[in-house]
Amino acid sequence: MTPEFTMQLNKQQEWSWLLAIDLFLGGLGGGLFLFYEVFELPVSIGLLSLGLVAAGGLVLLAELGHPWRAWRAICKPFSSWISRGVIFVMLFLISGSLYVAPALDLFSWLPWAPDVFGGKALGIIAGACAFLVTLYPGFVLAASPSIPFWNNPLLPVLFFSHSITGAAGILLLLSPFGFLDQKLEGINSLVALLIVVNFVLIAVYLLVVKTSGLAAAESVRHLNEGSLSWTFKVGVILVGTVFPLLVVVWMPSAVVLAGAFVLIGGLLFRYCVLKSGVYVPFALT
Amino acid sequence: MIDREEPANRSNGKAPRWGMAIDLKRCVGCQSCTLACKLENGTPPGIFWMRVLEKEEGSYPLAHKVFLPIRCNHCSNPPCVPVCPTGASYQREKDNLVLINQDKCIGCRACIVACPYQVRFLSEDSKGYYREGLTPYETEAYQKWQPRTVQKCTFCVHRIDQGLEPACVQTCPTRALIFGDLNDPESELSRVMRERFHFQPRAEAGTDPALCYFT
Repeated sequence: MTPEFTMQLNKQQEWSWLLAIDLFLGGLGGGLFLFYEVFELPVSIGLLSLGLVAAGGLVLLAELGHPWRAWRAICKPFSSWISRGVIFVMLFLISGSLYVAPALDLFSWLPWAPDVFGGKALGIIAGACAFLVTLYPGFVLAASPSIPFWNNPLLPVLFFSHSITGAAGILLLLSPFGFLDQKLEGINSLVALLIVVNFVLIAVYLLVVKTSGLAAAESVRHLNEGSLSWTFKVGVILVGTVFPLLVVVWMPSAVVLAGAFVLIGGLLFRYCVLKSGVYVPFALT
Repeated sequence: MIDREEPANRSNGKAPRWGMAIDLKRCVGCQSCTLACKLENGTPPGIFWMRVLEKEEGSYPLAHKVFLPIRCNHCSNPPCVPVCPTGASYQREKDNLVLINQDKCIGCRACIVACPYQVRFLSEDSKGYYREGLTPYETEAYQKWQPRTVQKCTFCVHRIDQGLEPACVQTCPTRALIFGDLNDPESELSRVMRERFHFQPRAEAGTDPALCYFT
């Protein structure tokens, strides 16, 4: 008999690296655009955020069984979070591109500069969509009643927090280029704060979820001592949390390294969340 | 054969709602339902729309196996339908069967992850059971589904529409599977459900499955 024919706690096998990369890139792009708007960063940051979200979308297409039918994914926005997410991404790419365009020499003739009404409206729409792009992956996972580890309202908050932290990590990574210095004097303190908040959120999430039944406890066990423990403990906690925090606090001159660590940790965090999803087993007594 | 005479009258004017009861005391784990499903629906290697889970209980010398046939529950409130971004997963209006329009499925797997019963599958490009090209049977059978789309038990909807029982029900040698109209109080299924203790799988998920187990 194959393992499929025995009653046991099964990990989900459907979503893996490709989706983790999509969630990672989409979250980074959305978070980076929020930084771009709030701190009025150079236009290259806005373009980078759009590129990251678009790249995430392309990775997601590769994950689909029938990518050329992907347009159908906008058909059920009233019930499906994937459908809503696709719409948020499309609206973000359109409104974000329009908002950024006047800052480019090629499109400087466009009449909606950020300081006129049209530009402001586009900025608000693009910012709202960027926020939703960072948030919706958590809702996609939380909408799965079969996997209690995901089925928790705190998960979207966790994804948002990691998206913002990852975006700040990119800014650290780009800091040697100099054009961010005046704009982001306090970025080191902000990154340190975000890393701590992320760590607290992960800890709270695991403690809360651990008490949500057998399957959820098994998910947490996979992260603590199971097949994902090295990826989680070394990748997410040590590399993604402890190392960058130490670098930012004690070695500010090496913040590029901290940025790289944050990004590695962010990608592995998504992978761990996806791969540790365990289905509720069939009960037979 | 399903008794389809004047179903609307017998169901108090309601449309039929097909359901199934599985008698766990009768199931001997022979997997004949699993094979009948494969034969009827031509599912590719590794995919079993119907399967019988088994579990060891007790200890020597009183150790024994228990069996649990599982398949799509055709829930009244199916979690797989709302998560589908394309509408490919849907409930058929006339009898609430949960089906998949393969022409609309993009293979995102959201429904597989959402299903509390782990009974949805993504088919790959199959090379058949013998990996040396498809047999004439496989060539014919694999026309029924599209590669890289999600598939699952349909309660043999093509047979139901002809007034026949699902293949698994017809083949079960111990009559452990009882199929019928849950909205028809006179059907064998409704009658047996009134008389015997039964439970719905993962009822706490609020899915109201059209399948129950007798113990």
